Amino acid sequence: MFLPEHYEFSCPVKINSGNRALEHLPFELDTLNARKPLIITGKNAAGRGLVDIAIDAFKDSGITIGIFDGVPSSPDLKLIRELYTIYRDRGYDAIIALGGGPVTDAAKVLNIVVSGEPEDLEKGAGHNMIKKPLKPFVMIPTLAGSGYETSRYAFFEGRTYSSHYLMPHLVVIDPRMTTAEDAMTTAGASLITLTHSVEAYVSPEKNPLADSYAFPAIRFVMEHLVNVIRNPRDSNGCLALANAHCFAGCAFSGTAWGIAHTLGKAIGEACNISPGVCMGIILPHGIEMQHSRGGRHISDLLLPLAGSDMYAETAEDLRAQKAIDILLDFQKDLFTISGGVIARTLEGAKVPKEMARDIAKKSVGYGSEIVGMDDFLKIWEHAWEGS
Amino acid sequence: MEDTTIMKDFREVKAGKTGFKKDYITIMLWFVGRAIQAAAAMDETVKKEFAELPDRFTFSLGIMPAGPYMIVGKSKRGIVYYLGWDPEGKDIMLEMKIKNIEAAMLLFTFQESTAVAIARDRLIVDGEVPHACAVIRILDIVEVYLLPKFIAKLAVKRYPAEHHGNKFSRRVMFYIRTVLGV
Repeated sequence: MFLPEHYEFSCPVKINSGNRALEHLPFELDTLNARKPLIITGKNAAGRGLVDIAIDAFKDSGITIGIFDGVPSSPDLKLIRELYTIYRDRGYDAIIALGGGPVTDAAKVLNIVVSGEPEDLEKGAGHNMIKKPLKPFVMIPTLAGSGYETSRYAFFEGRTYSSHYLMPHLVVIDPRMTTAEDAMTTAGASLITLTHSVEAYVSPEKNPLADSYAFPAIRFVMEHLVNVIRNPRDSNGCLALANAHCFAGCAFSGTAWGIAHTLGKAIGEACNISPGVCMGIILPHGIEMQHSRGGRHISDLLLPLAGSDMYAETAEDLRAQKAIDILLDFQKDLFTISGGVIARTLEGAKVPKEMARDIAKKSVGYGSEIVGMDDFLKIWEHAWEGS
Repeated sequence: MEDTTIMKDFREVKAGKTGFKKDYITIMLWFVGRAIQAAAAMDETVKKEFAELPDRFTFSLGIMPAGPYMIVGKSKRGIVYYLGWDPEGKDIMLEMKIKNIEAAMLLFTFQESTAVAIARDRLIVDGEVPHACAVIRILDIVEVYLLPKFIAKLAVKRYPAEHHGNKFSRRVMFYIRTVLGV
């Protein structure tokens, strides 16, 4: 087993998953010394009745709950200021984010503000700039996430916040909340999950604790994503994917950004397409590039990707290439079962080819030290053509 | 001062009350409490379990946050009594609380066995863990007496191959003692 010369890993997240997990909320809030939570969510979750299910979980607790169900797709500073005023004036002492993506980003940013002063929002941007623990923060994920919900990251108004204090104290994964909405949303979050966990597993900052989160995240996505896209009512599969999203956020928070994450995020933002789909397209090519540059641990990847039988029956020197082939085949499967909705090439995702150099310029420098500008352009070329 | 522009999307609610579920659990706890009293008088294994617990040992099993509860205690002479539903003023050595009414429903509708509920962290224990283990073993035996075999198999960790509770006459006697509280 691999032990790095040095590593850091911090994961303060308690996970409560399964049947009637939501009903544990009053007890868990009590252990966090919280008595009056503010639930924040979006119209979609409210419209699907998820807020009512969450409120029902508090029966008999005597707790008063605030609900704000108007988080838009791009929350702004004005909204955070107004939520800060509500939180402060009405005496709330915990935040519950119900949903994913913008809801979680807004909740994390709101937590920075309510745990200090509104000015802390500017000071807290950057890496490890939040210096003290924040207020109790609970996350109730749906499958319509961004893949960053459990992570140490928040993205807000062009700023990136990175601190382990931003990670939720508690994640409650309840099958009533994790029903699949549409193939694209489920695939987007799950491919970010796959990318983050695969890249954590082969990262230069690989460590045993990040591996313990990355491994089941990879297995769950490989075992369940195709089935859930085929049959969105597969509640066990949906629950497994929601768990995978959660684990990958923890693994991703304990390792550096990888090639596919960096490039896929940049393309998604520049072209306004699903970053998850972009990451999924780039992932096999990024791993192949790492392999060709002597990246370590690629052969180990076969075990979580394909399971113990295939790992055992594949010769050691062939395992890395087999892992890459499995990732490529997985992309093809998703493309086929989604009727072409989940693209398997950047060309298919309608990414303009001429943007390559601009995006590469913005991306090179993050994460892996192995890959330079030329490598990025080569990965782009392969991902564009699917070659 | 609150800005009104987002107030249309904001509301505050007071957590509601559970209805029949709480009533059902109250009845079940009353019945199980009296059944423990009956088992302690009739069953050798339960007698031995109580004999090894401290003098005047009293325990409660309840639902968070505000009940219902059942309290069972052992007198100085070693006789086991069901002590009612109100923990107020009782010197309870072991408090076992199920975290919420839904977890209690899973347990008392036999969708989860006691062992599974504990493994899933649905209970908290305030007191000595070995005492809690003894209480759980007693509850398992009581459930074997109370329930038909096909239900009891869901509720207990391992259904005993040979047990007094399997005999019809003893089971009838057990029910009579439980209902009459003797």
